[in-house]
Amino acid sequence: MMLLQLGQIADIIRGILSPITNFLLTIVPPGWIMSLPALTLIFFAILALAVGLKYNPLGLSFIGLILAGLEMVMFDPAVLGAESFGGQFVRDPMADFFIYIILIVGFLVLMSSTLYGGDKGPYNFMLLISFAGAIWVVMATNLVGLFLAWELMSTPTYILVALGPGRKAIDGATKYFVMGLLATMLMVFGIALVYGVTGSTDLVVVASVVEGIWGMFATTPNAAYTILLAVVLFIASFGFKVGVFPGWQWVPDAYASADGSVTAYLAGGSKKTGVGALMRILVIGFVVAQTQWVFLIVVVAILTMIIGNVLALAQKDIMRMLAYSSIAMMGYLFIGIASAMDPAVNSVAYNLGVGAALFHAFTHALMKTAAFILVWVLSVRLAKRITYDDLAGLSKRAPLAAGLFAILMLSLAGMPLTVGFWSKLVLFQSAVVAGMWWLALIGLLNSVFSLGYYLRVLRYTYMMDAPDDSRIKLPAIPMAAVVICVIAVIALFLFPSIILDYAFAAVPVP
Amino acid sequence: MQVDFALNILNSLPFGPLAFMLILPLVAGLVAYFAGKGARVITLLVTGIELVLSLLLVLAVDTSEILATDSVAGMQFVDYFVMGTIPVGATDTVFQFILGVDGLSAIMILLSNLVVFVAAISSNHINKSEGFYYALFMLLQTGLMGVFMSMDLIGFFIFWELVLIPMFFIIGRWGEEGSQHAAVKFFIYTHLGSAVMLVAFFMMYLIVGDATGTYTFALIGADGLRNTLPNLAPIVQIGLALAIFMGAGVKLPVWPLHNWLPWAHVKAPTPGSVILAGILLKMGGYTFIRLGLWLLPSAFARLSIVFAALAIFTCIYAAFTAMAQTDLKSLVAYTSINHMSWVLLGVAVAAFGIGLDPLNPANTGAINAANLALQGSIFMMFSHGTIISVMFIMAGQLKYSAGTREIPDIKGLMNKAPRLSAILILASFAAFGLPGFSGFIAEALIIFGSVVIYLWSAIITFGIFITVGYILWMLNRIVFSDPDPEKEVSDASWNDLIAPILMMIPVILLGVWPDLVLDFTQAVATFIIGGVAP
Repeated sequence: MMLLQLGQIADIIRGILSPITNFLLTIVPPGWIMSLPALTLIFFAILALAVGLKYNPLGLSFIGLILAGLEMVMFDPAVLGAESFGGQFVRDPMADFFIYIILIVGFLVLMSSTLYGGDKGPYNFMLLISFAGAIWVVMATNLVGLFLAWELMSTPTYILVALGPGRKAIDGATKYFVMGLLATMLMVFGIALVYGVTGSTDLVVVASVVEGIWGMFATTPNAAYTILLAVVLFIASFGFKVGVFPGWQWVPDAYASADGSVTAYLAGGSKKTGVGALMRILVIGFVVAQTQWVFLIVVVAILTMIIGNVLALAQKDIMRMLAYSSIAMMGYLFIGIASAMDPAVNSVAYNLGVGAALFHAFTHALMKTAAFILVWVLSVRLAKRITYDDLAGLSKRAPLAAGLFAILMLSLAGMPLTVGFWSKLVLFQSAVVAGMWWLALIGLLNSVFSLGYYLRVLRYTYMMDAPDDSRIKLPAIPMAAVVICVIAVIALFLFPSIILDYAFAAVPVP
Repeated sequence: MQVDFALNILNSLPFGPLAFMLILPLVAGLVAYFAGKGARVITLLVTGIELVLSLLLVLAVDTSEILATDSVAGMQFVDYFVMGTIPVGATDTVFQFILGVDGLSAIMILLSNLVVFVAAISSNHINKSEGFYYALFMLLQTGLMGVFMSMDLIGFFIFWELVLIPMFFIIGRWGEEGSQHAAVKFFIYTHLGSAVMLVAFFMMYLIVGDATGTYTFALIGADGLRNTLPNLAPIVQIGLALAIFMGAGVKLPVWPLHNWLPWAHVKAPTPGSVILAGILLKMGGYTFIRLGLWLLPSAFARLSIVFAALAIFTCIYAAFTAMAQTDLKSLVAYTSINHMSWVLLGVAVAAFGIGLDPLNPANTGAINAANLALQGSIFMMFSHGTIISVMFIMAGQLKYSAGTREIPDIKGLMNKAPRLSAILILASFAAFGLPGFSGFIAEALIIFGSVVIYLWSAIITFGIFITVGYILWMLNRIVFSDPDPEKEVSDASWNDLIAPILMMIPVILLGVWPDLVLDFTQAVATFIIGGVAP
């Protein structure tokens, strides 16, 4: 039986805050309630912009984010109804799962921002707006709402990347922006095609119309082919944000040149929204077409894993290595989506596949956010881009950082004692259950291949001598963020059910 | 042979005896990390306690006959620890640790604790970041014991992989020049083998689940894979057996999967080599028996000839390669490959016995021979674990005494370092299987079993012949040659000789009293050979 251990904590919070909840329910319009976390973030974003003219607004951002988190807990969608803005946005379990990922990553990113950039108003403004957009993206059940939220989330990140230190940040941001626009165009085109065929942009309506079209495939093949074209466009355009084949090229440039906190948000937060949106479209909107799109997803997964791993092995810059490794990790995640068979055909594989992908999204957010923050901290302290040579002898120069980094690398490699083990295990298990043992084998071989660069980090940090033995003094608050993540990484190995149960409870029922 | 006081002590331990044995080194490792110089004392204490506990465990294990109808297949001290539940399908899939031991596991646990204890004693030359070293050391101990205790596939895989992490650091950080490359090679090679094995684990889970409706990773229990796997189609079982072969064959190692071994063994620090050769290789042998003969008997019976031929080839190939080595440690490393191939031969022969009908009186002779060979395999693992530990410690000691391990550069060791030479000679004799030492019993049991079934397997004696040759030749060159007056050679201090002398005790004891091990494994061997007959 499912435990959902955190439920008790949520109940306590709800109990304490119930007077405020009731008060808010009387003054806020009912359609706004479920979107209140995002609205709060927008309110605080504007506030931070104004305050930032004179004072450091980072504290306000923290308050806004914590309030948004509390509002998530206070307003239980099971009691108050999940819909918001006329059903455009819905807080179902899957949306909740991703929103918590975004809020956790956001909190860690703000902690990391104390080191650099966080004292400016525009930076906070854009970060919070992007968080709000991300929340709406994963809540959206209507393609138009999805598109609006998508732009709200993406646009600030283009500027955030450009705000990074150095001339290269502009280059990275330009590449990101141009490819982002291209992806947006493809998405609009896909939405137009879907609307043209089905006459609706609501995913549930789309699903039922598509089912009809598939039923009459013999008589109206053109409609079916148009739908498939739209699916291809969606995979390409959302895949761009996720950083999978064929839209991965911006990832290393933008990740490596941006401010590390922003990179952590891109890798941990905004990437997951792409996953969330794509999963919602595929498994709610086009689940009957599963046998058609699964081939595409498998190809994308395999190519992404191979590209990410091979190119990561070739990198000297740690940020770029992590960027490529995060491309490869999304390849693993797509194994889970590929295993999500039509529940009418094989509900075990469907649940396992979607659940595994959700769980991996969570663990990857923890691991990658921490890794990027850690490298960014080192980069700021040493005032240079971190390459492997700079890591030599890190275990003497900064033992804590070296230990944390080692655990994160082992977790990314999927070794036991870290949660990375469970998330890869469930993914590969889902592929086998869906009848694709060869896909699991390809994933595992890629995972072995990836040891080539993860172990290189351990080799440099623990087995090589440093050119100079001076200690590196690390800033407390960003390091605390990393420590929190690493503790979670180990604790979730011992008690995986804390998140695993939520991930499987969040699997949407089509 | 259950001894009551041992049982009482074990049952009084918190969390249950097996879990306590696993948790103790983990906690002690954490303490040792922060203890700095005191870490060595903590490690010796904890590994000593573990050794005593594993002795008690061996005494407490029930070694009476295991019935074929027993749903837990004779496992004792069985404990379940649920990690996570996946709510899919009609029955939830559970990720859990199932711990349990039978005679075979208990003997392997005893061996691993013995080797780890001796390796801890011989770590006296480690003087760089001691806290970290001993913390890894005890993490390694947990992983090793866990492999031998796990009775479910996920737990088995976790411990199997867990062993790699500390070993990687120990080889790479405390090893000699070039050890970093060796460490990476070791890690990737073994991880590759286990990746293939993991796919087989998932396939077992899926195919059995589809057939019976119960999706599980557990090996024992009424729905356990041991009871349900034999009903699958033979071709599926053979596929699974080949995947298990990939995982276990890399660890054992078998030609052509052996390439990591010489690197890792030679470059590792002495205690690292001792553990690598002493137990890590036995993980491979144990997996062949537990996940092979015990879990997939009919598939192994079908592959018997292939495995036997591969074992014999590996033995002779490794013997010839060993002869060409000039580094003593490298020579000992190839000796390990040479000896572990005997284990595979024993397994292959035993597999043939499993395939025979026990009710047909014409088969009695062959089945008894298979039983003999299987016991020989288990005995070989124990005996090799002890002998090779001494050999590696002596090879490592030469670096300190003679300044080099290159065989041509060391001369007249007998004159200049009599203590060192004496133990080296004894260990070498034991290694090539002189009667009176445990190595002889092991080889004799296996060969007596195997010639009954495959007459041509007598070719493996050619391997013994070469082994005797190159070991005596090695002794001749470094021990009995004339001393070179220009080379400084000092004798080993008694401090450095504690560990090898301690380890020689079981070698000689088992050479004259093999029943000390065989009494405990007999029931398991009989169960494996006869328990699943058609």
